[in-house]
Amino acid sequence: MLTVGEKAYCAALLALKNKEYANALDSFEKAAPYFSTNKEFTLYYETTRLLVEVKRNLGTLEIDEKLEIEEIFTHG
Amino acid sequence: MSQTASLQSLESLLETFLDRVVFLKEKKLNVLDGINRLDDIGLLATKGEDVTDDIGSWFAIHNKWLTDRTLKDAELNRITGMLSKIKREIRIDADSSMADQKISSEIDRWNNKKEQTKPILKLRRRPEIAQTPSSPLELDPPTADTISLFVKRLSRMTALFMDYSNQKNHILSVLENLLRKASSETDKDALILSAFIIYYLKQNGYKVEPFVKKLKEAETLYKKGMF
Repeated sequence: MLTVGEKAYCAALLALKNKEYANALDSFEKAAPYFSTNKEFTLYYETTRLLVEVKRNLGTLEIDEKLEIEEIFTHG
Repeated sequence: MSQTASLQSLESLLETFLDRVVFLKEKKLNVLDGINRLDDIGLLATKGEDVTDDIGSWFAIHNKWLTDRTLKDAELNRITGMLSKIKREIRIDADSSMADQKISSEIDRWNNKKEQTKPILKLRRRPEIAQTPSSPLELDPPTADTISLFVKRLSRMTALFMDYSNQKNHILSVLENLLRKASSETDKDALILSAFIIYYLKQNGYKVEPFVKKLKEAETLYKKGMF
């Protein structure tokens, strides 16, 4: 049976393969407590974290939230 | 260069790096994904859910692993353990469906085939008697096998060392990189060579405890056959 950490690391790498960087970061964060001494893991984790931050700044991150737009008529 | 252009350049660089990571780990990632999926199926089976279709699909995709020798022993053992656990959960009897019986026989086939493909190395020791001068080079086949296997391993490790020591100033740098390879690629040659270098350094008065710790971590990863 795989550990929670192994499953999360696997999910992170698969997300990287699909270029789903925000999902990859979520999975890396779940796996982090189990791989804190693994330098390679830390390198991928930190690189992904930096990339996600850069993408947030550029506005190029994949959007997974829905924008809800509500029209308000103040005068009838 | 504007801030946006700098960020775009950094974005491209980081994406390229991560693409290369995925490319280098593609084979291992496929194996890991297959094991992970089987593990998920095993969890469903323990909850009493019908996994017949899931396990059938898994076999359809991964049966080739038995013949193309993609897997390491540790990975094969892990899969065999998971399949055995799933088989126990399915509980085949005379009333079981044809599909369940088919899955059960597939699991048996996998486990039997795995036993057949497992490489066997027999170590036999010659009697401890002095060799007669008339036959100084005569070796019985099992002894010759172990020696030729070791010579091949030594040759590969020498090539690995030459590769990793290129443009390095100190053997500790080489050792660091070899331990990293042993951990990240679960590479047996790198693992054995690292142990060899650590022992060499110990004999020469170096403090080796941090490297021994890393070696043990790499060995644990190697045994698990993961990452």
